[in-house]
Amino acid sequence: MAVSFPSTQYFEALQQKMAAEPEKFRRLGFIDTTFGVRVGQNGKARNFILEFEVFEMKGVREVDAIDPKNVDFTIEGDAGVWREMIENIYRNGEADSSHDINTLAHFGEQLKVVYDDPDGHDKLYRFMESIQRFFDLSSKVEVSFN
Amino acid sequence: MAYLSTRNFIEDKDFVDKWLYTMRTGELDLSWMKAATEKVKPHEANPRRGLTYRDLDIGSYGFTDIPEKVRSNRSYAPRGAEVPEGAPDAQPWVSRKSEVWAFNTESYYEEAVTRQWNVTTDIPWERLDGVEMPETIGKALSQLMTFLTEVEMIATDTPAMWLPRLSPDFIEVKAFIASQAMDEARHTEAFRKRALTTGWGLMKASPMNEMALKHLRDADSFSEMSVALHLVGEGNVLTLFRFSEYLSPTDVDKRIFRLVMQDEARHVGYGMQHFKYVLEHFPEKREVLHAHLDEAENISFAGAAATELTESFIILAGGGLKKENIDEGIKVTTRFQLKQMEEHFERLEKCGMPERKERSKLYQMFEMGKAAAEMAGIKLN
Repeated sequence: MAVSFPSTQYFEALQQKMAAEPEKFRRLGFIDTTFGVRVGQNGKARNFILEFEVFEMKGVREVDAIDPKNVDFTIEGDAGVWREMIENIYRNGEADSSHDINTLAHFGEQLKVVYDDPDGHDKLYRFMESIQRFFDLSSKVEVSFN
Repeated sequence: MAYLSTRNFIEDKDFVDKWLYTMRTGELDLSWMKAATEKVKPHEANPRRGLTYRDLDIGSYGFTDIPEKVRSNRSYAPRGAEVPEGAPDAQPWVSRKSEVWAFNTESYYEEAVTRQWNVTTDIPWERLDGVEMPETIGKALSQLMTFLTEVEMIATDTPAMWLPRLSPDFIEVKAFIASQAMDEARHTEAFRKRALTTGWGLMKASPMNEMALKHLRDADSFSEMSVALHLVGEGNVLTLFRFSEYLSPTDVDKRIFRLVMQDEARHVGYGMQHFKYVLEHFPEKREVLHAHLDEAENISFAGAAATELTESFIILAGGGLKKENIDEGIKVTTRFQLKQMEEHFERLEKCGMPERKERSKLYQMFEMGKAAAEMAGIKLN
């Protein structure tokens, strides 16, 4: 059954896929970060906080707003950009070279990375391969879009 | 031989007799069993993570209680061991904690160990089979890889040369610095392999780049080295790796840059936490660090503007050598260069040096560059 995006169920589905591949993520190393995902749609936004610890995703929760002081960084973008990224991953098995997180967010034109502390911002890059592989698990999840 | 033992053991009759006596009689000394050391039972705070250095932060073995000035142990005795008379003075250059320490040093090391990767087997080199790039793109990519190989070689040497200079009580810092040297050696390998697989071999070394790199190697103190290497140099290189990933012509290049940026960001993290620590615990250093930043920023400005680097980026960003390609390449590369400077000042501000912008000539360059870019119609972030 398809999970809808954006929703906590979508991120929980990725969490389950991550837990099902412990060796792959163990090989990538510790991932200790808490970050936000903001999905804009029709002038409103859905906000999620994702918490990773050791080798796994510990949990996800939806919140009304994300306080930049409580997360390392937040990846924001319109629903259309997120959808294009997820569909691209689903088609290719992983993000192609135009749809990986760093490419989409580099100049803040499609996705944007916002942060309060540059040390928190740098955690996106410290754990980049783990975060990319986490989103690449969308290739194994059937997703519907609201 | 710079160091000679104070005794010639092979010709010392008492020493040889004792060796033979033990062998003959089985009579053991066993005085080491009475070492006046602390008995502890460390345990894993988080079993999923394993037994970490932080779990060993206990009593005389811990790092929390290392004094600001380490006077008691100048030998190679591991922290917490009994140091008997006769242990040689290892003559460490750095025995002051705030000169090397960073908040969370131990966790940077643990992270480094779990996030090691292998250039030979973790990069899908086979995906390059059949990849054809236009000559200008291939040569620009190879020039970028040549430049980065140069950078990473000195980034290996610089932290490594500080290892024997640090007091052995700074175990966790030494471990982190050793892991950094390994990371940088791996980056050298990655960029060299990628340069050669472009089909164009290596391109040209950069005197401007090497002049900047030499500055990193020749710092007068560990803190100055760390400011120049971890904060200024690697901070700039982190932004550069992210930009290179953005521009990468193949998914193999993207994978390389995603993996090297992880290591680089960890080094920048250590540098930021060290910078904060030194400003909080060794405030007299502030002026020295400003003076070192004056030079580090001057040289990093020159290195980042090196022809061999800038022109490679312009070609990769614009997609070729036609006028419209170059115009586009200049726009994109200028945005990157300004972003690189902006992020540098963001880090310094958050580390506790907000006044840097007022003093820095590089900040004046940033403001000037931003105004020029706006006048040229280049959209900034």
